[in-house]
Amino acid sequence: MRRYFGRKLLIYGLTFFMAVTVNWLVPRLMPGDPVASMLARARVAQPEAQEALRVYYNNLFGFDLPWWQQYLNSWGSLFRGDFGISLWAFPTPVADLLTRAVPYSLALLVPSILLSWVVGNRLGALAARRKVLDNTVLPVSYVLTATPYLWLAALMAWGFGVVWGIFPVAGGYSFSMTPSLTWAFVADLFWHWLLPFASLFLVALGGWAIGMRNVIIYELESDYANYMSALGAPQKLIRRYAFRNAVLPQITGLALQLGVLVAGALVTEIVFSYPGLGSLILAAIQNKDFFLLQGAFLFIVLGVLIANFIIDVVYVIVDPRTRVGMAGAAA
Amino acid sequence: MRNRATRFLIPIVAAGLLAAACTSGGTPTPAPGATAPAAPAPAAEGGAFPRNETLYTSGTQWGPPANFNPIREWDSATGTKGLVYETLFHFDPVAGKLTPWLAASGAWVDDTTYEVKLRPNITWSDGKPFTAEDVKFTFELGKMETIPYHNLWNWLSAVEAPDASTVRFSFSKANYQQWDFNIYSRSIVPKHIWEGRAEKDVLDGINENPVGTGAYKYHSHDQDRVAWVKNDTWWGKAQLNLDPKPKYIVDIVNSSNEVAMGLLLQKGLDLSNNFLPGAANLVSGNFGITTFYPEPPYMLSANTAWLVPNTTKKPMNDAAFRKALATSVDVKKIVEGVYGNLVKPASPTGLLPQWDQFVDQAVVGQKGFAFDTAKAKQMLAAAGYKDANGDGMVENKDGSPIALKLIVPAGWTDWMEAIRVIATGAKAAGINVEAEFPDYNALVEARNSGKFDLVINNERQLSNSPYTYFEYVFQLPVQAQQNTVNFGRYENEEAWKLVQQLDGTKTDDVEGMKKVASQLESIMLDEMPVIPLWYNGLWSQVSSSVWKNWPSSEGSAPKSAPTMWRNWLELGGFESLASLQPVAP
Amino acid sequence: MKTEALYFAIRNTKLLVGAGIILVLLGIGVIGPFFIDKPPTEYVGMQMQPPGGEFWLGTNTFGQDLWAQFVHGLRTTFLVGALGGGIAAVIGMVVGFLAGYKGGWIDEILNMLTNIVLVLPTLAVLFILNAYIGVRSAGMQALFIGLTQWPWAARSIRAQTFSLRGRDFVDLARLSGVGSGRIIMREIAPNMSSYLLLTFILLFGGSILIASSLDFIGLGPTDAVSLGLMLQQAHQWSAMHLGLWWWFVPPGAGITLIVGALYVANVGLDEVFNPKLREL
Repeated sequence: MRRYFGRKLLIYGLTFFMAVTVNWLVPRLMPGDPVASMLARARVAQPEAQEALRVYYNNLFGFDLPWWQQYLNSWGSLFRGDFGISLWAFPTPVADLLTRAVPYSLALLVPSILLSWVVGNRLGALAARRKVLDNTVLPVSYVLTATPYLWLAALMAWGFGVVWGIFPVAGGYSFSMTPSLTWAFVADLFWHWLLPFASLFLVALGGWAIGMRNVIIYELESDYANYMSALGAPQKLIRRYAFRNAVLPQITGLALQLGVLVAGALVTEIVFSYPGLGSLILAAIQNKDFFLLQGAFLFIVLGVLIANFIIDVVYVIVDPRTRVGMAGAAA
Repeated sequence: MRNRATRFLIPIVAAGLLAAACTSGGTPTPAPGATAPAAPAPAAEGGAFPRNETLYTSGTQWGPPANFNPIREWDSATGTKGLVYETLFHFDPVAGKLTPWLAASGAWVDDTTYEVKLRPNITWSDGKPFTAEDVKFTFELGKMETIPYHNLWNWLSAVEAPDASTVRFSFSKANYQQWDFNIYSRSIVPKHIWEGRAEKDVLDGINENPVGTGAYKYHSHDQDRVAWVKNDTWWGKAQLNLDPKPKYIVDIVNSSNEVAMGLLLQKGLDLSNNFLPGAANLVSGNFGITTFYPEPPYMLSANTAWLVPNTTKKPMNDAAFRKALATSVDVKKIVEGVYGNLVKPASPTGLLPQWDQFVDQAVVGQKGFAFDTAKAKQMLAAAGYKDANGDGMVENKDGSPIALKLIVPAGWTDWMEAIRVIATGAKAAGINVEAEFPDYNALVEARNSGKFDLVINNERQLSNSPYTYFEYVFQLPVQAQQNTVNFGRYENEEAWKLVQQLDGTKTDDVEGMKKVASQLESIMLDEMPVIPLWYNGLWSQVSSSVWKNWPSSEGSAPKSAPTMWRNWLELGGFESLASLQPVAP
Repeated sequence: MKTEALYFAIRNTKLLVGAGIILVLLGIGVIGPFFIDKPPTEYVGMQMQPPGGEFWLGTNTFGQDLWAQFVHGLRTTFLVGALGGGIAAVIGMVVGFLAGYKGGWIDEILNMLTNIVLVLPTLAVLFILNAYIGVRSAGMQALFIGLTQWPWAARSIRAQTFSLRGRDFVDLARLSGVGSGRIIMREIAPNMSSYLLLTFILLFGGSILIASSLDFIGLGPTDAVSLGLMLQQAHQWSAMHLGLWWWFVPPGAGITLIVGALYVANVGLDEVFNPKLREL
């Protein structure tokens, strides 16, 4: 088991290293000069003032150093938790912007992933080999899983927000509120969270239901199931065994799907202008905010790696076989 | 296990969200040493702003309100300048004259000395009196190199404060037009707070808890909003007889125009200064949304969009070619097709309608241009541009092919559509123009360093004087980097001298200004250093569900600019806010 | 085997429905543009017209024909899906076959690489790449998608290859001195052709969804019209608030239909190839 985790951690470490390197490299290949666009925004006409500003910003962002030093510095500042200064929200540090946005993103992601996984698996298991249910659950699931996150989100925003007017269409809480520990505020927060959550939940739901249904059907056709039913075991018991076996691949599936789910959450946030990482990324892209985009990228990579590791741990806990002698085969 | 997980999840999520919201908002703490009577009062009703006392605005701020530094006129939080910090004067574009604000009066005592008398009994929001020392201090900040108004000191030689209510400015060279621009543009900051700040802090400081003289004070902010609360002891109530009714002003950060439109329709937004495509439909449909004019162009004009040719490149270095190009552009199609009549075609000089009195109609009648594909073809032929190889496109006089790239930033949808129309029109006249959409950064770099063929630009707003307009067009000398003006690198010593002459003309000498302007217009129409296309609107959609008496062209409604845009509060924006009335008494 | 598959294929409703939808949409996307004489961004008529006889899907706020955009958009979307999915499938196969067949240190390295790219959140990587490098054509977009989508395919192909490697017919071929490349091409790949087809279909659908997200965020191609770009424009120009549902609903429905049909066809195929899954 030690080897298993050691191997996993090695992969995650390498991934992180690669992400940081790519992250450092790519912006330096891009066309255009961020300092120039910063100066253009400052609307300074005088050449002396211009030059003073240029020198100042170059120093601030460290563009005047040799490349290897910039690279080493980027690692150094990373470990200090320093992601640079946002150009878009100058002079707010990127780390500030990110830590403020992350709770909103997590609040959308964690419940929608877990709940959709739980409910989806239940639905899929119920549907497997039950003709009537299968004929309703399956097509609906296919439609859901094929729907672009952003489209469903926007349709819901339109239907519930604009046409019926019962849900807010933007923001993390009402513009008429200031944060406070009151019921009114908590309710408001929840109200703004509900639609983005629901749209994420629905799209993710379909995939899990389909996956579970298919795995259960495999399991129900497997030798042990046939053997049990030949022995006269009740159908309910066989199904329960099948479900338990099917949960394992679904956990692996969860790890594989993480990236997609995170991506879905990002675009959903954009549709609802929910103040999470997705909205920050959009702003960073639109404003060419170098540091913000990179910081957000690293946050996401780190988050996904941590989530992967948690799933690994859960997998080991759930699957007794890995606990005994498994060393790396699942990697 | 799974069911338990679900049960525990919900409270955890709620707690997480709450933590996020509370930490990010931050409760404002009063400035150290504040003696002001009211630290920002917490809003009533469980942290909510009462709807009937709150004005919601949007359309100015595109990023989180990251600083409250009035020196950063280009990105400080909406209202920092105008609501909190004030200027010596305001400018009324309708009447075309300065309105004394912090100043009681201002006058040239001789040709190079300007004296300002300040109003009495004005206090900073921390209770300290506002004096001539503060004004002197503010202008002297400009001696720092990185301060935006540093160049003022090229012709300003000294600022003195002989007594608490008098400020005297001495000039080495009096640029009357620019000076008027400066006295209504520069926010006065309190010396007792800003005194010890280093240059870096003055330029890049966040300036939390801003202390100003204005009608509003900082209340709170978050990533997507900034809230201001009324300053009950504001001097203007007694001295200007102005009393803004909204107790709170909440400015919402734009995430997209889509969101702004949604909020406006839900009556959650009172004033939207966004460019809302299809606003014409909002006005004609039954949405309860109005604009300044009930009919096209719906909006007041705010700036001119030009087609800027790079005059250092062939064939754009030829005035005859530039004129032919101007003649090939179907502006009407842009105005109707792209903008749905939300903008107005520009006059040949491009001077905004507010500057009409400075347009010499005789010159325009004689030298102006209008869209005419056949005429553009003739002009090209007459100037020696012929289609030698028979591909339908003309070549340079030396026979080399012409292939021009017209650029706007990727994602600027309306401009992208507009340049497609321009490219089509140019091709019809035989000029090979392709529309391209580089990234904003790349565009800025190409534009500023002169590595482009054709570009669209509108970076000069309405001001007190057509001087600022001509300065944009003709400023010399051309630098290696042209960052704010004369992107086409057009060099004409005579024109630049005239611009400076205009600058040196006293602002009350309207006839003198007209004379110089007429000469400049004549050069402009002969040479076409920029091609005026259309007037961008002062985008403004208002909802009268909570606040009424919005500026409008109709009846007795105020005529000031209905806007919160940066640097526009001094151009009538504040007056518009002050004239609002609550719908429900 | 072949005839049996065909027998079940023409009786499998899922496959028939899925494939039918895809063929119809593909037909529209491929042939449709030839019947539309003007470019899809041309201003053709009245603004904001609801769907009707002249403009089947109505017009947008500029007076552009949305049917023309939809047809061209379908074409681009299919192109990006096929190209992106194809590139990912090829990389996945090369990596999967090599790792699974060769084993040893080649397997170690490739497996490590696969796992690294697998845990990287691909859309975030694409954001970075697209935003900075500035990908502005549909082909480049497809290439980038392909370059990030291959790992899970590689992983499952590796596992399949691994199990085939020990079979007798492979050993036989190896003993008779056939090169590795030939063995993979001749012996292993044909034996899992059905599986490869299924993989490609899933990658195809996935690429379309990813492309639509990229388009929506403003990182789409600038030289083409795609369904995702239509969605982005409709959103950007507040189509829903203005009541122009015909601008916003069709492109999203188009994407859902294509991807959904692909998935359904995929299940149908799975049932055809895999007798255990057939309806009892």
